[in-house]
Amino acid sequence: MKAILAALLLLAACSGLLVVLSRDPKRQVFAIAANGLVLGLLFTALQAPDVALSEIAVGTALTPLLYLVTLAAIAMNRARQ
Amino acid sequence: MTARWRLGLLIAAMLALAPAVWAVVTALPPFGSPTAAYGQVVNRLLPHLRTVSNMVAAVNFDVRGLDTLGEESMLLCAVTGAVVLLRGSRGEDRAEHAGRVPGRATIERDDASIVVCRIGAPILLAFSAYVALHGTVTPGGGFQAGAIAVSALLLVYLGDGYARWRSRVPHPLMAFIEGLGALLFVLCAALPLAWSVPALTSLLPTGKWKDLYSGGLMVPVNIGVALAVLGGFAVLVAEFMEETRTPESDPVPDEEDA
Amino acid sequence: MTLLPWLVTAWLFGIGIYGIVTSRDYVHIIGSLSVCQSSTYVLLLSIGFRWHSGPPIFYEHPPGTASVDPVVHALVLTDIVVGAAVTALLLVIALQVHKRCGTTDPQQLRPLRHTK
Repeated sequence: MKAILAALLLLAACSGLLVVLSRDPKRQVFAIAANGLVLGLLFTALQAPDVALSEIAVGTALTPLLYLVTLAAIAMNRARQ
Repeated sequence: MTARWRLGLLIAAMLALAPAVWAVVTALPPFGSPTAAYGQVVNRLLPHLRTVSNMVAAVNFDVRGLDTLGEESMLLCAVTGAVVLLRGSRGEDRAEHAGRVPGRATIERDDASIVVCRIGAPILLAFSAYVALHGTVTPGGGFQAGAIAVSALLLVYLGDGYARWRSRVPHPLMAFIEGLGALLFVLCAALPLAWSVPALTSLLPTGKWKDLYSGGLMVPVNIGVALAVLGGFAVLVAEFMEETRTPESDPVPDEEDA
Repeated sequence: MTLLPWLVTAWLFGIGIYGIVTSRDYVHIIGSLSVCQSSTYVLLLSIGFRWHSGPPIFYEHPPGTASVDPVVHALVLTDIVVGAAVTALLLVIALQVHKRCGTTDPQQLRPLRHTK
């Protein structure tokens, strides 16, 4: 249990770093989704199934989609201008 | 301020704050030792006082219910703000055609992905209903159920595209569901005041422990939250999608690849 | 191990701030802000955690068995969902900035000047 928690905490630190370091928003979306999944696993390991459920539904599906649609709208604005 | 100055300022600020952060990190109790007495009191008392088995739901919908009502209205405000901003510049009319970025290929959907999405969406929707109804018994509750239901709707979008989503998931209905959910929560909070007891006091029978109906007033509050979250996010996603559409017709068939 | 969660929290918050400060794109700033936000989740859930305890759901094990703190779970749970709506609001604002000014780069914006 100890090892799993330590590994997941370090993984969360790495995936957070990845979100920040991926400067291109199109790539960052995938980093955000991965970060959401890692956080969901970490919350499960921290005995918080409720929180993990909402993090996985929101963090890996809903938020990345909102980012993608925003980027699509920005790209279309750019094409129109 | 140039980027280099900003970075320099950040490094200076972080170096200045580092000793304070280190002091806090070492002063915090060691990881995994019980610290907060309040949570343990909740664990000890609430299963008997409220006859629910999910302590998180009990805290959310009963002990800090008024606070959750505040969060719920934050959700409502954020959704309203986003919709107002989007419609303010676009107007309320709906564009007929999917927009498209010139020079980007339009990829046809695979039959397999359509089938998977069409099978997956109703299953996810059923699962979200399960999560909402068993909110006081097993892990879950209104917030998660709403989010899961929206991801079921997203599968409709992934499988059949936004044009289909718009005809299948009526926008006014989603806005109505959002308002209905929020109203249900407010009524549950306000009605006990009419009997001159504190807000959110459960006047319903508490039900049986580990039963589908347990926790009294928590059940309608749970469902209200689920409806509000589902409606809010569905409205939000639909308004975002409208942003990627163009009024002029397009030579390529109606197909998005966002 | 006793200090690791707190260090991870500080790291996530710091790296998020770094991303916000050095960013050249509003959408990237919003993503970095979500990293800052996730640091609060890690902090709260780690404070509530106890060794050798189950989740605070007394379905299979009876009430009275050791379990982690449900209060912090309730706080984080609602914040995740509400935070997603707030993120959407921020994304809309970034979209509007792009519509009005034609850029999402904070460097190219002049503060409080009408650009159209």
